[in-house]
Order: sequence, then structure tokens, then C-alpha cells
Amino acid sequence: MTKYFGVAIDDIFNSMAERFRPEGAADVDVKVGYDIREFGKRKLVISNRKMSLEKTDDLSDCNAVIKTDERTFVGVTVGKIETMEAIIALKFRVKGDQGVLALLPRLFLKLSTQEKDVKQEQELLVLKKVISVKQKFATGPVMGKFLKGLKEEKVLAIKCPECGRLQSPPREVCAICRVKNTEWVEVGPEGELRMLEYCYYASPDPLTGETRETPYGAIGVLLDKCKDEEVFWHLLNPAHLDRVKMGIVLGEKVIKGTRLRPVWSENRTGSINDIKYFEIAE
Amino acid sequence: MKKEKDFDINNCYTISGKLALPYTYFAGRTGSTFITHIRDNKKIMGVRCNHCNKVFIPPRQTCEKCLSMISDNWVELENQGEILNYTVVRYDDNHLPRKAPFILAMIKLGKADTPVIHIVEGISINDVKEGLKVKAVFAEKTTNTILDIDHFEPV
Repeated sequence: MTKYFGVAIDDIFNSMAERFRPEGAADVDVKVGYDIREFGKRKLVISNRKMSLEKTDDLSDCNAVIKTDERTFVGVTVGKIETMEAIIALKFRVKGDQGVLALLPRLFLKLSTQEKDVKQEQELLVLKKVISVKQKFATGPVMGKFLKGLKEEKVLAIKCPECGRLQSPPREVCAICRVKNTEWVEVGPEGELRMLEYCYYASPDPLTGETRETPYGAIGVLLDKCKDEEVFWHLLNPAHLDRVKMGIVLGEKVIKGTRLRPVWSENRTGSINDIKYFEIAE
Repeated sequence: MKKEKDFDINNCYTISGKLALPYTYFAGRTGSTFITHIRDNKKIMGVRCNHCNKVFIPPRQTCEKCLSMISDNWVELENQGEILNYTVVRYDDNHLPRKAPFILAMIKLGKADTPVIHIVEGISINDVKEGLKVKAVFAEKTTNTILDIDHFEPV
């Protein structure tokens, strides 16, 4: 016999006669059908302060029929499942006189489940893993030239032949003028801090698979020979995070930002990590 | 269409990357019971739907046919069964549990109605066939995963 919430459905029906309260059944004359899936049908007859329960397939003369499944029935009876929730979930239905639901608790004492309430604490398993996926990024001719420049400690920018703006890292076309960029210019490598973002959440670096220490500073540096919004994005030396000032141009008003210089890696391979980070130049 | 290469391919190369994906997997109540039974009692448990009369493994909380709650109806399955189907994994990758080539088979355990997928060892990849009777070999060291059954081997 399957037990739900530590109670077998037979316990409920077998104890009904003991739990019956004749004082609650005064003036009550009702026939209640139980149609329980996986279990079967029962008919409860209450009249003259007496109850009788019979196993039958004919529930046609009942005032109300409760249709549910075994688990829900046990859960509702022992109070582990809210009746309203079960009704909303369409797991518990009353056909006929809905009033019997309010009537039943008056007719029977609650099923004692004291000893059965002792539930073993279950061990729940949690698995923490890191999947590592190897990948390759193709540079293409334009980004390739830029990254090769970094290997030689040069920062290259590409110039739009129409509007003259510089882009670094370079793009093959100028997205504003929609023309192919052709001319290369060496910029920097020192510059002025224009933008600083404190990052408190680091996602894994797609080149190394490692996650940076937080907080770190993502910075926009206006490299020498560049102007306006032609900033170069990189990292700031974490030790200098609180010692730098952002520069800004507001119409006539110009605030100079901290001068920064790149720190080059010793083993340069032609990747963006050839610059470790920028640090204060003075 | 331009056919000739109008750019210098000397500047084209690839950069190796490594993408790390940290994640947390919660086995849930039913899944945890399944694994702890394998780990502590060396028993493989399934769940039965009394309404549909089906035994599911790996165990699940609800029956996929009638959607009733079945997570309390634990049944013990035999530690052996037969291969319904199999495949041979022929490539190496660091997320795979064995060095290639190795056999992954769908194994129907005793009265279960659904198969489990697991590694089969102790037989060459040329000799494995459908209907082969195999038994579970439990791992000596637990990992709190399905690999607490180390592999299946021919009876």
C-alpha cells in the first residue's frame, strides 16, 4: 500500500467510524460519494446521527461526489495540501452539492498523524562545475594588422577617408560614412583618461577562461592624436583605481583627465592582452 | 563578384581562446534520492506510476503520461539488464567521461520501462551488440553523480 505524507489511504477510510462525531451530525442527512483514482469508489451515508461506509460502483444517488486522486485525497485529509489549491489545480473536484466540503470537518475528528509527522531530513545534492571550451578567434586582415602592431608596442588606428575619424581597435569600414577604411595611423601610446567604469561583476575572459578580480576598472583612454570620442578601451591597473580622474569637455569648459601609459606584456603574442593594462604616467 | 583577394592575408591569423562556463546544478529531491541510494546502498531505484503501471528511471517527480505525482513510489530495480541500443564515442573531449573510443549504451534494467544511458566496459567495441546482458559496477569513490555507477560490464 502506497503511503502519501506517511498515511495510507486505507487508514483514512478504516478510521472513519472511530472519528465520527454524532453530535456534529444532528439534522444531517447526506450521501457523499468518493471517486478516487487508483483506489476506487466509496459511498458515505449519514442519517439519524449514524454513518455507514460502503464500497460500491454506483454513486448516482449521492448528494455530492468528490473526484480526486489518491495523493491529493490523503494530502487534503491530513492538511498537507490546501483544498482550494487542489481545486484550482483541477486535482480535486466536487460534483453536486458543494456544501459537503464545509460539512465534513464537522462530522469527523481529525486523523491523528503525530508519529507519522517525523520526516527524515533528506540530503540534497548540488554540483558545482566549470565547463572549459577551447575556441579560436580569426583576426581577419584589419584586426590582424592592429594586433600585430601591439606585438611591436605600437597602437594603430584606422582612418576614414571621408570624415577622417580614427578607430582603434580598427573596423574595416566607417559605419557612419559607409566607406572602406584604408589609411593607418599610429596613435598614442600614452593618453588621457576619459571614462572609468568600476566593474564589480566579472564574467570569464574568453581568451583565458579566467575570471578577473573585482572590482576592476574598464577605461576609455583618449590616446594622443585622437580626438572627441575616439577613445581606446582597456583596463586600468587595479592599484590605481582610486587615484585617477576622468577628463571631460563641456562646451568651453575643459577638465583634463589623468595621463595614462600602457604597460606592455613581456611575452607579446599579438593579442589584446599584449597591453596588460594602463597606469598613471607621471 | 570580386574573385581576387584584395587584402593582405599576411595579417590574418587566429588567436586561441578558452571559454569557461561556471554552473551550479541542483539535483532536486528526486534526483538526490536516486544518487544517494546508489552511493550508500548500491541500489538503483526507479519510480512507478501506479495509474499508468510504468516504472521510470532515471526517476522523475511526475508521470510523463498522466502527470500525476509519482515521486513517493520508489521501487528497487535490479542491478543488471540488457542493452537496447548503443553507440561508440569516437572523439576525445574534456567533458567526456572516458578516453575515446568507448561505448555508451541504453540499458533496460529489469522491470524498468525506460532505459538508462551509461558506459559499457569489459567488451570490445566490435563485440558489443543489442540484447547483451550487463550488470552495474559501482564506483569506489563517490562523486555524487550518476558516475557513482562506474560503468556496466557483461554478466
